[in-house]
Amino acid sequence: MNHDPFSWGRPSDETYGSYNNAIANAGNVSAFPKMNTQQPIITGTSVIAIKCKDGIIMAADNLGSYGSLARFDDIERLVEVGVNTVVGMSGDISDLQQVQRMLEQLEIDQSYEEETSALRAEHVHEYLSRVFYNRRSKMNPLWNACVVAGLSDDKPILRYVDLLGVTYESACVATGFGGHLAIPLLRQKCDFEAEYADISLDEAEKLVKECMKVLYYRDARALDKYSLCRIDNNAEKKVTITKDVRCEDMKWEFAQHIKGYGTQVV
Amino acid sequence: MFLTRSEYDRGVSTFSPEGRLFQVEYSMEAIKLGSTAIGIATSEGVVLGVEKRVTSSLLESDSVEKIMEIDRHIGCAMSGLTADARSMIDHARVSSVTHDLHYNESIGVESLTQSVCDLALRFGEGASGEKRLMSRPFGVALLIAGVDENGPQLYHAEPSGTFYRYDAKAIGSGSEGAQAELQNEYHSSLTLKEAELLVLKILKQVMEEKLDSTNAQLASVTKEEGFKIYADSKTAEIIQELKESEIDED
Amino acid sequence: MAQTTVASEYSSEVHAEPIEHRFNPYSDNGGTILGIAGEDFAVLAGDTRQSEGYSIQSRSMSKVFDVGDNILMSANGFAADGDALVKAFQNQLKWYHFNHNKELSIHSAARLTQQLLYGKRFFPYYVHTILAGVDEEGKGAVYSFDPVGSYEREQCRAGGAAASLIMPFLDNQVNFKNQMDPSSNGTKKKELRYLSLQEVVNLVKDAFSSATERHINVGDALQIVIVTKDGARTEYHSLKKD
Repeated sequence: MNHDPFSWGRPSDETYGSYNNAIANAGNVSAFPKMNTQQPIITGTSVIAIKCKDGIIMAADNLGSYGSLARFDDIERLVEVGVNTVVGMSGDISDLQQVQRMLEQLEIDQSYEEETSALRAEHVHEYLSRVFYNRRSKMNPLWNACVVAGLSDDKPILRYVDLLGVTYESACVATGFGGHLAIPLLRQKCDFEAEYADISLDEAEKLVKECMKVLYYRDARALDKYSLCRIDNNAEKKVTITKDVRCEDMKWEFAQHIKGYGTQVV
Repeated sequence: MFLTRSEYDRGVSTFSPEGRLFQVEYSMEAIKLGSTAIGIATSEGVVLGVEKRVTSSLLESDSVEKIMEIDRHIGCAMSGLTADARSMIDHARVSSVTHDLHYNESIGVESLTQSVCDLALRFGEGASGEKRLMSRPFGVALLIAGVDENGPQLYHAEPSGTFYRYDAKAIGSGSEGAQAELQNEYHSSLTLKEAELLVLKILKQVMEEKLDSTNAQLASVTKEEGFKIYADSKTAEIIQELKESEIDED
Repeated sequence: MAQTTVASEYSSEVHAEPIEHRFNPYSDNGGTILGIAGEDFAVLAGDTRQSEGYSIQSRSMSKVFDVGDNILMSANGFAADGDALVKAFQNQLKWYHFNHNKELSIHSAARLTQQLLYGKRFFPYYVHTILAGVDEEGKGAVYSFDPVGSYEREQCRAGGAAASLIMPFLDNQVNFKNQMDPSSNGTKKKELRYLSLQEVVNLVKDAFSSATERHINVGDALQIVIVTKDGARTEYHSLKKD
């Protein structure tokens, strides 16, 4: 008698020969190893954001790259959560979309608990940081770097979390290439936390647009079409996301003709 | 003979319509059949005393163990189905050692008692998916004596999982008389020495056999010495002392 | 390879799937920390720069926490693990209060921290941890830990990126290593004594400004938390931002 209860009631091996497992595993014939994300596939490049007196400006372009191929040109990477929070995400787009669904679920679950939306930027950030850290601890990361922007008690909140679960808060935050190209420009206006109070929203918007231009010039995975998010504490609707913003007044002449670029000074 | 009280008698964790858990109540009855155990907490330490039922002259009285050490600073006396106490004491010892491992300090007497009582309710499934460990409630009650940063303490842990702190407590078959006597004799300035004599005096009153060092056992927990079970010779000395003081009174 | 379709506790099936991993779950976020114990106080200090590679992520991230019960804690190294460890500790502390109704002493906190760290022995928290507080006798206490939980009580300890720059300075200035009694003409070692709070705070500032000069991952601002039996208070000082 076979003492394994799992084989009871099945055709016996003596009579029918051993079961061909390939049949049950038809969809998985090659016995492919279980795979976790080891590298991003379709990717989005930098997200940049800066705090200012009455809110936050954040931007992310619409490109979905497949390696060096500019595969999709209409990817939305700014996700609204609740009434005054926006999450900007770079990195793997499929993971981004999964995080987007998790945030939608979070919002729904939270709305059962309380009638008015109590979900604020710091809560969204804490949630995301736990999700990202737990996934990295399972060696199955969500391959993204996120910027969480929002208002809490009328104060701007700007925080970061990435695939390792590393978090921080700063007056200017940028992911990817933005960290190298945009952060120095943003920090010229606002190097230390307290300085953000001296910048107006319009000033910040101008600055961020300038950064998006620099990124388009120098980041080969960037696009000149992007979404711009304006979180304004004084506005009726605190969060507005403008889509399909273009980089303007760009100069693509030869370097020698561009003032201030090469030797040309006048 | 089958005395059915009601059909709510059988399921261990089924309430009767009056809101009673019969099996738990019966388990407390089991303790009333057990040998008497007494504990007294003084400012110097806690004294435990038990009656050992030496049912035959052929019985080796040393093999009757009703006072046990849990850790250096905690000990306990039991009454009821003493076999059940083994798993409780096992659990208590593990709790104590684990606490020391985790926090590099001795476990508090109340925390230890709580952890034993957590086990007492494991005859049913836990609310958060804990497995049912036992088929029935424990049939034993413990007097847990110990010393921690809050001084000497005495706790009584019941099969129902409840526990209370006492200055002095008696359990087992002679508990009613003994408790009444404790009520009369206890005062907050008792010394350890006086408590030892009082425990034996009360045991003597409630025991059927004549009190001697083979059918009674004493133990104490003090800050300095920790838990100590008294050697029979020492118990005999105290019994002698008790006798002399009684003669003096006469 | 033979496979069973349904998992069974009886069969001795082997999950011989090769698992390939290229993802590196760790990074180094720089920063440095320093704890010094005094006679009736202890200080735990850390810079507020958080970096990754050559990029400064933030100039204002505190990494020294008052975790409750007059215990200061800092876990420096991989920031995500550091935060996770501090949160795990605070959670355990809450449960300790529920279960035992008393304050957690610093030596118990140290053992608890070891348990948390060793619990992840085979996937460690990549951090150097320092605990500071006041012991049961009222003396300042500093405990330091390696990433997997080995620990020791010390008079002082530096951890993190610039530990190797600061520690020899501390050996000399706190434990008077290689210092002689000036009146003995170089024949007697200088005798140990407790440093005052002012002396300690000055040492901490000097240690950090020097480390900032020589280490790229140290700078921006200095957070000094001072703990005595009456509680903890925090001071901030600026450091160079370059």
